[in-house]
Amino acid sequence: MKIDIKQITEGEESVVIRYRDLTPSIGKIISIINEEDNRLRGKTEEGEVFFSKDDILYLESVDDKVFVYTVDKVVRIDGSLNTFLAGNQDESFFRCSKSMIINVGRVTALKSLSSNRIDATMEGGEHIIISRRYASDFRRLLKGDR
Amino acid sequence: MKNKKRKSLWEAYLTREIGIEFKACLYFFAILFYYCVYRIACGVFDANIFHMAEMILCCYIICYIQVYLFGNFDEAEKLKGREILGLGVCTALYTAVSFIGKWFDGKTGVYIGFAAYVLLLYLCVFLIYKTKRKIDDKKLNDDLKLFQAEHKK
Repeated sequence: MKIDIKQITEGEESVVIRYRDLTPSIGKIISIINEEDNRLRGKTEEGEVFFSKDDILYLESVDDKVFVYTVDKVVRIDGSLNTFLAGNQDESFFRCSKSMIINVGRVTALKSLSSNRIDATMEGGEHIIISRRYASDFRRLLKGDR
Repeated sequence: MKNKKRKSLWEAYLTREIGIEFKACLYFFAILFYYCVYRIACGVFDANIFHMAEMILCCYIICYIQVYLFGNFDEAEKLKGREILGLGVCTALYTAVSFIGKWFDGKTGVYIGFAAYVLLLYLCVFLIYKTKRKIDDKKLNDDLKLFQAEHKK
């Protein structure tokens, strides 16, 4: 891997990561950059906020923008759902559909639905459907077989 | 990416088709059972192969109607308007086909019994799926609690 480090005297500091495959080491680098004592940075209507990963109920991607839902706020974060997962070694975050990731640690109840789907009730009372495509993987995760 | 999407669409279609095949076989055997009981009661110990062909064809078509038009009502969470309508329409269709195909030799009482049997069959299948989901709920929630306890440590 080629490493290009350049010192600048003015302008905003930035890190550009170019990868072919999202390998664990790349994921680790992203996670180090993203994480500051397990805290994430995002934007709300009131401005920039910091929040803990443990506060996250679920993440949703809408029109290529990623929104984090906590009990009391909705925060927009940079990156994609894939980069979030790659930068996260915690198994608690599970991709439950094409556009959503849930924090399994903040699920209060699960309900089996027809066509092998699962309804997850979050701490905030929201119902999130784990689609058929991801349901078997979810069951494996809960059993620790993943 | 396009290939992956096409593959998942194909898989989704195939899963649904297998579900319909399974349903058609289930209803076919249940209807065949009623038919055989009727034949035995009449002292006839063989089945008409044309009737059986009509039964399986009828089951396939009605299962398609059930899945695509009435939201797969026997697997539904609750029996509401659309589901109850589907239950009625499909039962009526089975009875109509049995009447046209003369499965029960034009005996009105047997046709009424057949309609009641199909209705009961649908309700039983609905309850079986519901019970299966309830058992699954309990298992899922137990696994969830274990997972959360392990990941809190």
